[in-house]
Amino acid sequence: MSLVASSEHILAASHAGSPRPSHSGFDRIFRAAAFGCAALVLLVLAGILAAMLYGGWPAFREFGFFGFVTGSVWNVGADQYGAWPAIAGTLSSAFIALVIGVPISLGIAVFLTQLSPPWLKAPIATAVELLAAVPSIIYGMWGLFVFAPLVANYIQVPLNSVVEGLPIVGTILYSRVPSGTGIFTAGIILALMIIPFIASVTRDMLDQIPPVLRESAYGIGCTTWEVVRHVLVPQAGVSIIGAIMLGLGRALGETMAVTFVIGNANRLGGSIFDPGSTIASRIANEFNEAADLQLNALIALGCILFLVTFAVLIAARLLIARVQRS
Amino acid sequence: MNAVSSMVHLDRGGRPGTNEGAPARISVRNLDFYYGDFHSLKNITIDFKDRHVTALIGPSGCGKSTLLRCFNRIYSLYPDQRATGEILLDGRNILAPNVDVNELRSRVGMVFQKPTPFPMSIYDNVAFGVRLYEKLPKAEVDARVESALRRAALWDEVKDKLRQPGLGLSGGQQQRLCIARTVAQGPEVILFDEPTSALDPISTGKIEELIEHLRTEFTIVIVTHNMQQAARISQYTGFMYLGELVEFGATNNLFMNPVKKQTHDYVTGRFG
Amino acid sequence: MAVSTPVLPAAMAGEPAGARRRVRPGRRVADRALKLVSAVFTAVGVFALGWILLMLLWRGFSALGPSVFTSITPGPGSAGGGLANAMVGSLVLTVLGIVVATPIGVLAGTYLGEYARVSKLASLVRFINDVLLSAPSILIGLFVYVLLVAPFGSYSGWAGGVALAIIAVPVIVRTTEDMLRLVPNGLREAAAALGAPQSKVITLVTWRAARSGIMTGIILATARIAGETAPLLFTALNNNFWFSPSLVGGVSNLPVTIYQFALSPYQNWQELAWAGALIITMTILGLSVVARFVIRKEVAR
Repeated sequence: MSLVASSEHILAASHAGSPRPSHSGFDRIFRAAAFGCAALVLLVLAGILAAMLYGGWPAFREFGFFGFVTGSVWNVGADQYGAWPAIAGTLSSAFIALVIGVPISLGIAVFLTQLSPPWLKAPIATAVELLAAVPSIIYGMWGLFVFAPLVANYIQVPLNSVVEGLPIVGTILYSRVPSGTGIFTAGIILALMIIPFIASVTRDMLDQIPPVLRESAYGIGCTTWEVVRHVLVPQAGVSIIGAIMLGLGRALGETMAVTFVIGNANRLGGSIFDPGSTIASRIANEFNEAADLQLNALIALGCILFLVTFAVLIAARLLIARVQRS
Repeated sequence: MNAVSSMVHLDRGGRPGTNEGAPARISVRNLDFYYGDFHSLKNITIDFKDRHVTALIGPSGCGKSTLLRCFNRIYSLYPDQRATGEILLDGRNILAPNVDVNELRSRVGMVFQKPTPFPMSIYDNVAFGVRLYEKLPKAEVDARVESALRRAALWDEVKDKLRQPGLGLSGGQQQRLCIARTVAQGPEVILFDEPTSALDPISTGKIEELIEHLRTEFTIVIVTHNMQQAARISQYTGFMYLGELVEFGATNNLFMNPVKKQTHDYVTGRFG
Repeated sequence: MAVSTPVLPAAMAGEPAGARRRVRPGRRVADRALKLVSAVFTAVGVFALGWILLMLLWRGFSALGPSVFTSITPGPGSAGGGLANAMVGSLVLTVLGIVVATPIGVLAGTYLGEYARVSKLASLVRFINDVLLSAPSILIGLFVYVLLVAPFGSYSGWAGGVALAIIAVPVIVRTTEDMLRLVPNGLREAAAALGAPQSKVITLVTWRAARSGIMTGIILATARIAGETAPLLFTALNNNFWFSPSLVGGVSNLPVTIYQFALSPYQNWQELAWAGALIITMTILGLSVVARFVIRKEVAR
């Protein structure tokens, strides 16, 4: 309220009691502080982009933006840096995460909203939320020490004996070193990590569909499957895609868990079981020992990650479109 | 509801005409009000006398609450609402752009339809308005709180639990707490916006009694959808319909010998 | 309608043998499959959480001893050791982050929830805040590195605190705004009607009314940053000593210690990593549970 500090005396004078003080000084400062903090949020985003461009600039200048993105050699000794293996690793591990994580997330959301007996709802919802609270480094340790050996023994070894020598699948599914770490394992860990986000947003979306729609569908004799397929999915479809994009954003940028299990190879393999690296894991691995152009190249990688994840996240938020906020 | 029953109360209650000479505290001149593009008050002109209770009645949506919300400019919390014309409080136009609305509101108190105790102790609720505008020693604040609670007829019920949350009181007590909070600040005018519509009959009776007492100190304007209530506690009544002030006069005249047909239809229960 | 009535109750109950013929088998199969699959998937999710937690408890407790809390992190090749410096460092960094983030987050949330509910700028801030809410934390680490580490030529706890604060702010902004929106407008009008200017309405009434909700946001933000590793890698770094009180130079902290120790070849380091992982996870889950409890108490009131 910038209305009038100057003339409060007009009214005060007519009042019988003591003159009443004006609060407008503090009022103005408080409002400005609130506004400043809100503006700071915008500034942070601009700052991140500026920092990435500034730090990564020498690498982009050296190799060209296009050359850097498509370059497939990452050789510290030769001071030669190309982002493609890390980009491919990021995309393929995130893809595997979606393929595995999305059906499970949607299953959980459907179970919680349509099928679960009431007494089971709260514990499962809590468990799913706790899954989101577990720090990513714990997923990494579990993935490396518990899950990777299982992948090696029960997936890679048996699969090798089946696919060896076959065309195409013999390349994609063959593991040269069945160690359990690699892009596939990273994808599974990522799937576990994005499940809570996709599941809880989807559940919120399904919960918001007016019960009368659901009830009238059941009322004309639809089965649960038909209600989900013909009523819930069309109603919440766009938001569910938003939720999936949100999960994708997480998967693309996740760092620690992936660094543990992806194998950290700088080369691109042909098999999903090959060790690889993602943008984030490459940065986490090399940053502290990096100098000069390598450092710039790593920040340039960060710049690419920024552009990709923020595009995905912005799309996700637009799709979810704040239905929650009503 | 019929006019006869209200007549009985009128004979017992304050009789208009006895204070005919009292000066106008609030004078409304050619007031128009807009919610965005919607023209909700049309050219209202009306006077409110000092130390009287004036009731505003009319069917819902008629603009009676809107009019009330002009007197402390509470509407200006919302950017799309605006008023034009003049409202003179002690001769000064409170709609003028250079008025300090906060200071204005400390002099024109308001009690709302739903009780609105703040999430703090009973004591702090009552002291809230006092502390905003006056730096007083604790003993004096204590005295103000006690006196306000006494005047709101709440003191005996809460004197042993002043430090307990105001939200713990019953609905009727909460509403009296809000009245005490308003009274404590020492306003000149108190606006009541359907103060009993959320309360049970016993609490309603207490609040009405309270308003009757407060009349000796304050200029009171009350909006009510309950015509019996208007008849019981007010000396003057304005009947509003579709954003216009249809008729205004001494309460028993308005209820017993309405001039306009619309007023007659309303007070006899034909519509509304 | 008249034709379908006899079929429908049967389709729902699925039991009476005579009517069941009218339901195409495909419908039933799809329905059963959906129910089975979603139940199995839910079980998978719960099972994964249980598995991770059980492993953590087992490995963590077997490594946990008094020296974990009393000794500092051991150097390469030396025996024994603990996590005392890392735990204190983590505490310092987390507190620093939350102390910086709380006023900024609450004020920004207040701007969105009280001052500018409908303005274009507010919508933009709200949107960007939601995007930052799920931004990769490693980028925030890089940002703070470019902003605070590279120019000063030294890693520092301050940089780490700022990085954590940037991660915490969006959480606090979002919950603060949401909680302020739950405060009934009547309360604001009542305070304004007593002549309170907007700043007083907010600080004395609406903040108070939304208090436990805002607290929940702060607790959740604390839980979020307590386990963050990636942004600390390039800001606070880590080391095996007690950090200097000025927080300049590397500040030891649990997440980075766990990361380095878990991937090390030394037996005692690996055990300490498990102990640290247990401590940090239990702390975070504890905070999440407390936050839920606070919310529930508020709803009950």
